[in-house]
Amino acid sequence: MPRRPGEAELEFKSLLDAAVDAIIVIDHRGRIEQFSLAAERIFGYTAAEVLGQNVEVLMPGPYRAEHDTYMDNYQQTGEAKIIGIGREVKAQRKDGSVFACELAVGRVQGVVPPRFIGFIRDITLRKLADERLRRSESELRLAQQLANLGNYVVNPDQSGPDYFSPQLCRILGIDAAAETLPLAAVLERRVHPGDRAMLDEVFRELDSPGNSFDCEYRIVLDDGTTRHLHHIAQVTRDAKGTPLKHIGTIHDVTDRRATEDEARQLQERLTHFSRLSTMGEMAAGLAHEINQPLAAIATYAQACQRFVRSPDRDDADVLEALEQISVQALRAGEVIRRLRNFVKNREVKREPVDCNRLLDDLRTLAETDARLHNVRLRIEAAPGLPSVYADPIQLQQVVLNLVRNAIDAMSEAPETRREVLLSTRQLPDGEIEIIVADHGSGLAPEAAEHLFNPFFTTKSGGTGLGLAISRSIVRAHGGRLWHTPNEGTGARFHFTLPASPASKRE
Amino acid sequence: MIKEIKPTVFVVDDDAAVRDSLRMLLKSVGLPVEVFESGQEFLDADRDDRPGCLVLDIRMPGMSGLELQVKLNERHSILPIIFITGHGDVPMAVEAMQAGAVDFIQKPFRDQDLLDRINQALEKDAGSRRMLAERNMIRKRLESLTPREKEVLDLVVAGKANKVIAGDLNLSQRTVEIHRARVMEKMEAHSLAHLVRMVLEVERTDE
Repeated sequence: MPRRPGEAELEFKSLLDAAVDAIIVIDHRGRIEQFSLAAERIFGYTAAEVLGQNVEVLMPGPYRAEHDTYMDNYQQTGEAKIIGIGREVKAQRKDGSVFACELAVGRVQGVVPPRFIGFIRDITLRKLADERLRRSESELRLAQQLANLGNYVVNPDQSGPDYFSPQLCRILGIDAAAETLPLAAVLERRVHPGDRAMLDEVFRELDSPGNSFDCEYRIVLDDGTTRHLHHIAQVTRDAKGTPLKHIGTIHDVTDRRATEDEARQLQERLTHFSRLSTMGEMAAGLAHEINQPLAAIATYAQACQRFVRSPDRDDADVLEALEQISVQALRAGEVIRRLRNFVKNREVKREPVDCNRLLDDLRTLAETDARLHNVRLRIEAAPGLPSVYADPIQLQQVVLNLVRNAIDAMSEAPETRREVLLSTRQLPDGEIEIIVADHGSGLAPEAAEHLFNPFFTTKSGGTGLGLAISRSIVRAHGGRLWHTPNEGTGARFHFTLPASPASKRE
Repeated sequence: MIKEIKPTVFVVDDDAAVRDSLRMLLKSVGLPVEVFESGQEFLDADRDDRPGCLVLDIRMPGMSGLELQVKLNERHSILPIIFITGHGDVPMAVEAMQAGAVDFIQKPFRDQDLLDRINQALEKDAGSRRMLAERNMIRKRLESLTPREKEVLDLVVAGKANKVIAGDLNLSQRTVEIHRARVMEKMEAHSLAHLVRMVLEVERTDE
């Protein structure tokens, strides 16, 4: 069907106006010839306002000046800066506001002088979204870096590539681009031998119907450094239970663990130091305690020699003396064994402890000091106590410290009152209470106030650490340490320990 | 008589092993021995006027060795005390010696050292007891004098001549001579010097 005159022009106009992008046609001098509906919408000008004007009006400052140069350059050299390429440029609305747009320019073929057709797409929103995404990504990266925490997504069904965040790669010491191994294999290769079993268990758990895990383990990097990781993971599954996605975070807690370890070691060293210094203060009494059996042994042996030389000897006497020699040698050995146990620098180890037996074990060491200061030590143990879960040596340290304080408190007390009572009992809530009561002059209010402060001491030779350390030991065991006035005169120091769960009765 | 009771070594030590080993040692040399685990037990047993000696641990719970020594002194016991001390008990040992202990020995000790000290203590005790017996005898003799004879004795011991004594007491010289002879006889004095020594011995301890 032949076209009526002007039909093509109408068609062209409809085409222009139907397009979502703004379409602008200019002549070789840059004057606007066509301005589509979308162009009116995007730029805020009506076609009538801009037709015949230089296209520069649609451009912000720097572009405006350069546009003529571009056009002259193209027309002289045929070198296209934009034609057929398309690029991102800035445009200016009627109200003066500038916006980002994508510009594609074509040359209308077969006309002289040349005309150009421009397609302009407002990309403000896309730019905004891009910008937000970029910012959130960089913030996430920075946050991960600051927290030393990485995340990952693993697709067990191979529906997409696994993702390791950059920080995770740094933590695990892997090159994300080079390493295409699955996460389990990456960890498997690096996990600390001591934690391998636990990690295997954790991954097994992920395969079982369980959906998440939360654990800490160590890895060893290629350069030999060890890192402590806190790993939290979750698996999403489809209705049939097939894993879809395995997502998780891995937090490098090495520094925190190191700080914790350091604090713990410091505390342990201080506790040990305090035990050593206690034994130092008790040296005279301990020497006496070991000297007693030695003196007895020497005397028995000498008696024995005389019996043997005597013409009318009785073998029963000789045997009795020999038997006593061995008993006393063992007694001396026992004092040394307890002493060594007490001062040994050892790993803190908690185990079920029978408080009554503990007090009995401590008697040798405690009585050493009591004897030296002419004080009686009485133990009243409540029968049938449940055990506590504790480090026995640290508990002995607490009791010995309280007993020695009690003995010191009675240095001025008359002979009839010089007794320390050590007792145990179970409280209604199940806790075990150990009480050390003395009949000294009691606690002065100003002393009571500072009693638990480190380096506070009322004794000339004291370190002032005893009570502070005792309280921290008791607290670490989940108990309390406090004092009350004793009936009549003196002070009572109490501490509690929770009964160990295994030994709860009824 | 006193000499018929055999001297005994009394041992007071709170440590059962030390106490028992001492008992065996003394038994091995044939010395009678009695052991006590506290000062109070020893006081209750009323042995402090017996012949012998006391081997005493200086450091004991309750009544210490030093406290027992004080109590024995209060009871005028003459029992010689040998203290057993540990290391670092020197100040206490000094105190014990000042309070009249005969000796101290640090444990562990060589048996011979202890036995030597015990023997010395027993000798000292025997000597003291002899002296005590003598004094008692002198006192008894003094008690047998009549008031007049006592007056004469005092003046004789003061070094006065019979003539002066006669003047002082308003007696004839002859009567003074008779009293004086009775005094010498009753006091079993060999000489004037002997008489003076006996009287001074008693007066010194009675003051």
